[in-house]
Amino acid sequence: MGDYIVLAISCIFVNNILLAQFLGNCPFLGTSKKMETATGMAMAVVFVLVMAGMITWITDNYLLKPLNIEFLRTVSFILVIASLVQFVEMFLKKSMPALYAGLGIFLPLITTNCAVMGVCLININEEYTFVQAIVASLAYAIGFGLALILFAGIRERVNVARVPQPLQDTSIGLVTAGIIALSFFAFKGMV
Amino acid sequence: MAQSMVKEFTKGLWAEIPPFRLVLGLCPVLAVTKSVENGIGMGIATTFVLVCSNFLVSLLRNIIPTKVRIACFIVIIATFVTVVELMMQAYTYPLFLKLGIFIPLIVVNCIVLGRAEAFAFKNAPHLAIADGLGMGIGFTLSLGALGAVRECLGSGTILGNAVFGPGFQPFTFMVEAPGAFVCLGLMLCLMNLIGKK
Amino acid sequence: MREMISMVVVLTVLSAFSGGMLAAVRTGTQDKIENQVLKFQKAPAIKKILSNVSNDPLQDRFKLTDNDQEITFFVGKVDNKPQAVVLEGKGKGYGGDVGLMVGIDIETDAVIGVWVTTHSETPGLGSRAKDNPDFVSQFSGLGLDKVFAVKNDGGEIDAMSGATITSKAVCMAAKQVQELYLRLKPEIQKQTQQMAN
Repeated sequence: MGDYIVLAISCIFVNNILLAQFLGNCPFLGTSKKMETATGMAMAVVFVLVMAGMITWITDNYLLKPLNIEFLRTVSFILVIASLVQFVEMFLKKSMPALYAGLGIFLPLITTNCAVMGVCLININEEYTFVQAIVASLAYAIGFGLALILFAGIRERVNVARVPQPLQDTSIGLVTAGIIALSFFAFKGMV
Repeated sequence: MAQSMVKEFTKGLWAEIPPFRLVLGLCPVLAVTKSVENGIGMGIATTFVLVCSNFLVSLLRNIIPTKVRIACFIVIIATFVTVVELMMQAYTYPLFLKLGIFIPLIVVNCIVLGRAEAFAFKNAPHLAIADGLGMGIGFTLSLGALGAVRECLGSGTILGNAVFGPGFQPFTFMVEAPGAFVCLGLMLCLMNLIGKK
Repeated sequence: MREMISMVVVLTVLSAFSGGMLAAVRTGTQDKIENQVLKFQKAPAIKKILSNVSNDPLQDRFKLTDNDQEITFFVGKVDNKPQAVVLEGKGKGYGGDVGLMVGIDIETDAVIGVWVTTHSETPGLGSRAKDNPDFVSQFSGLGLDKVFAVKNDGGEIDAMSGATITSKAVCMAAKQVQELYLRLKPEIQKQTQQMAN
């Protein structure tokens, strides 16, 4: 049990997917202008990432490895993720319209979110067991959500401040992200 | 015909240079630009994928049904990414180890999918190649430039050669994660300043 | 309905094309990749272990099969006479497999040295198996009749403090090599004698 907690803390803080591993930066900058969209994106990522982590782990260990076709990993993972996102979208639309209304527009964006693909590949590279893979996926997703929501909070305030023109928008956003990354840097060496 | 090709090619080098003008595909930009060598290596790999996938998508643009076009694009892109992955393993193994997970992640680089959807699917193959090549080279130049700034300040070297005297204290912040964000933000600001004139 | 069929057909053909192309590239680059892995991952470890040989152990290698597994042996020669073999074993560590190169003197059946090739252990704890030569040097000079295990398990090796699992993994890898070597000894001797001539 202790090992899983260490793994979770390391994935959420020390190796934060956005700020230390640089995965998923497009939605990080794209959906962080408003708190509402940031929360929606964060929830959608948590949801999809955990499922994708499980399914790709099964694909790799029970399909690609036994057949000795690991070189097809990239192709099969992206197809699995893309179809998973489609299924989730269809399923939510039918059975949970309320949740769909919240996550709806963010779901298609997730296919090209490299955080999802990245975590699936990390799970395989680190040779995690199935349970470790689930814990890691969930923890990475929480780390993603945490950073995104923190960032959106700061960005809402930056928007009402007077920023020099050339620095506006993405530029100041990146510098802000740098400062948040610096604060997450303090977690280095904790685990 | 040659003229329009030149036009599509050059727009990627300045007017729409990724990732500065088109803010897409930031993850590899931030992650692999610790040094010039890594940045350019990543840029070349991405260029190869961009040109090949643009060409194939454009060639098949009348055959691919619109409803499943994204799935088709993904299969095409993923195929070329794997080709690059295997090639790099076979010929430039140390670079492959350094870029690591970011090679397979070219698959989800928004620039590649973005160009397939926004350009290649609507234009003839020769234009698509010019567009892919221009975007790819623009991307490589950006990565190289960012890598140069970060390597120069962060480790005091360019392509591994020391540029400052022995008294230089490396500004390690630049090669760490936070430095990547700040450096890209400031370069974007610089581009905006120049672009305004 | 026609649209449906064309969607399925296009996707199937595309996937088949992708699979075929990748399989071809894979077959074409397989040997090359194997060589690269040898050169960059195994070679440094082999050179550390066989520091005073007169040949290139990477060139003088042979393969044997044991329980359907192919094992590569690297031969070190002094004055053109095979002196030692190096082979790799694996042990289950904290974050995955730990790879260990073990060099064995073929005349005295004693370990010359061991070196960690790959691991994904916690930086600063388990990773010391690679950085800190004090731990791995304990294996040097041990005869193959000894028990390769940490002292708690009745063996000869002092575990690294704070990294018991990694220490055990290294021992496990060494033990695997020990068993393999003793089992395949007649065949190894046959191969090395051929090389001497």
